[in-house]
Amino acid sequence: MSSAISPHSARSDPGIDRRSLMAGTAAGLLAAGLPLPAAADTPELAQLIARVTEGAVPERARIKLEIPALAENGNAVDTRISVDSPMTEADHVRWIHLIAEKNPFPDMARFHLSRRAGRADVSTTLRIAQSQKVAAVAALSDGRFLLAEADIVVTLSACIDGG
Amino acid sequence: MSFNARITLPAQAKAGEIVEIKVLTRHPMDRGGQSDGKGGTVPRKILNRLTATYAGETIFRLDMHTGVAANPFVSFTTRAIETGDIVFEWREDGGATYTRTARLTVT
Repeated sequence: MSSAISPHSARSDPGIDRRSLMAGTAAGLLAAGLPLPAAADTPELAQLIARVTEGAVPERARIKLEIPALAENGNAVDTRISVDSPMTEADHVRWIHLIAEKNPFPDMARFHLSRRAGRADVSTTLRIAQSQKVAAVAALSDGRFLLAEADIVVTLSACIDGG
Repeated sequence: MSFNARITLPAQAKAGEIVEIKVLTRHPMDRGGQSDGKGGTVPRKILNRLTATYAGETIFRLDMHTGVAANPFVSFTTRAIETGDIVFEWREDGGATYTRTARLTVT
């Protein structure tokens, strides 16, 4: 079941008009050349993570999220996620879920692995709407979860109209 | 427009070896809301699922949303079990499905 990926899983409250916030943020970042502060998870990201773990607190270990720190083109951002797991019947990764905190639809993709995967090692190409935090959540066969996050700065946003 | 996908995997593998499979699909993955150049917007139409089946089991499934880039790329791994076809099936918004196969030779 992947209800978090359904077309109805858009952000629940639009809040500030996204376009004006994005334009302001992009302009501000370019003008000032400032990196994003490496802060703790925002409440929104924590909520998005909790939605896929159904409230369980994930462990920040054994999972690696590789994504560039700076992407010139948010329309095509390569990412790779690997989990240190034996991938046996008794101990394996069931799925890996990707979240982009500030995308219009934050749930981006879910990789479902089989016990015949051999390794938990997947990659794909993403659309990143603006500079933000990306999170990868892995679900293990014993019911626990792993979490890795990365900050990414995007100079060309993926979601500007006409782009 | 016909459906195009490029599947890359080793020509052959030893039984039990882990092989990496790469899939690159041609698809605009229209996320909806983009201008169509004539004052309207292009409706959302993406590939929302890719399933791979091999040696009697589903070996991989990717659920995709609008956050996956156009011309989606994915790579994953699987163990070589026996010589046979890996069957890839894509599902598109609206229910259309596309199927391609790639042969894995296992020595």
